[in-house]
Amino acid sequence: MTIYSFYIFDRHCECIYIKQWHERERAGAAIRPTTSASTTSPIPDKRVSAGGKQITETDISMRNGRLSVQDDAKLIFGVVFSLRNMVRKLSTPDDNFISYRTNNYKLHYYETPTNLKFVMITDVKTNNLRVVLHQIYVNLYVEYVIARNLYVLMLNNYIAVEHSGGEGVACELFELGLESFVVRTLKLIELTT
Amino acid sequence: MSATKAARMGEEVWKTRIDKVNAELVTLTYGSIVAQLCKDYEGDYLEVNKQLDKMGYNIGLRLIEDYLAKTAPQRCVNFRETAEMIARVGFKIFLNITPTVANWTSDNKQFSLVFEENPLGDFVELPDDGRAQNELWYSNLLCGVLRGALEMVQMQVDAHFVSDTLRGNETTEMRVSLVRYIDDELPQSED
Repeated sequence: MTIYSFYIFDRHCECIYIKQWHERERAGAAIRPTTSASTTSPIPDKRVSAGGKQITETDISMRNGRLSVQDDAKLIFGVVFSLRNMVRKLSTPDDNFISYRTNNYKLHYYETPTNLKFVMITDVKTNNLRVVLHQIYVNLYVEYVIARNLYVLMLNNYIAVEHSGGEGVACELFELGLESFVVRTLKLIELTT
Repeated sequence: MSATKAARMGEEVWKTRIDKVNAELVTLTYGSIVAQLCKDYEGDYLEVNKQLDKMGYNIGLRLIEDYLAKTAPQRCVNFRETAEMIARVGFKIFLNITPTVANWTSDNKQFSLVFEENPLGDFVELPDDGRAQNELWYSNLLCGVLRGALEMVQMQVDAHFVSDTLRGNETTEMRVSLVRYIDDELPQSED
């Protein structure tokens, strides 16, 4: 399995964290431009390290004519938000969708009662990752982001509240924790299948 | 979730998943915070109440995530259930006490939490200046915590103390009332 990207949205509908591992391969071959080398800067500003693998030449060329990372995040939020509301209308108000897939990717979704939304996008063969997203929330987000900001809050005399613009989420502990957690999980899943 | 089930859950989580510190450490730390606030605001106890509530609110905003992470609960179906979960799980896992839920109004929107014990108030004597007894709500931090925590799970509540054994009342009682359920925020439109 392959993980393409991971997003967290807060209750104010703001994207507070983005991480991309592989450039998503959702653009079909037909859309892919034939010229390989490109002059435009392929990956504009993003809080991202190219995790496991280096981004290859073909990935970069695919990037042409594609949306920026921020626009991607907005679209993903839109999809998830509408889908969730529709699911709830069709069923009970505490129901939620777990994932959806297309021909090219699968989107996994987990929402906490505090309206934090965790989204992970993977290839289509991946089994459900709801448990994994829950673990990221419990073991990484609460542990490193919430607890750490409590400390920052005390220093600031209880003025700062929540993470406007995602400030404070992408701290080192959280980044490292996420990275190693994902690597471990991938290995585990590969071993068990 | 029934009250007994909630109680069992609180007990279980408290035993297995909570890092504990010495209760007296908490009591003394909280005591010195309140004492310092009284000093900073030069005995303006109403302002001290307000500051404690504000500090509690900011704690509550985050504490709810810890609560959810540790208990992984189902969403409460009504406010009565919320009250039971606050008393039997929330207070249990963070303070190891279980206040009694009492005095419901008939519309199920207001209840009291009656504290038989309150670790924050151990060893405490309110200042003997004739005003603190009537003005200071010593444990007002707890009201803020509830307000902050419930706001994060889409409930706007009002919480305040109505009596306190430190003031010479017979019980320590907090009144909690549901103001409204908060709707989900909608994303801002592009333009």
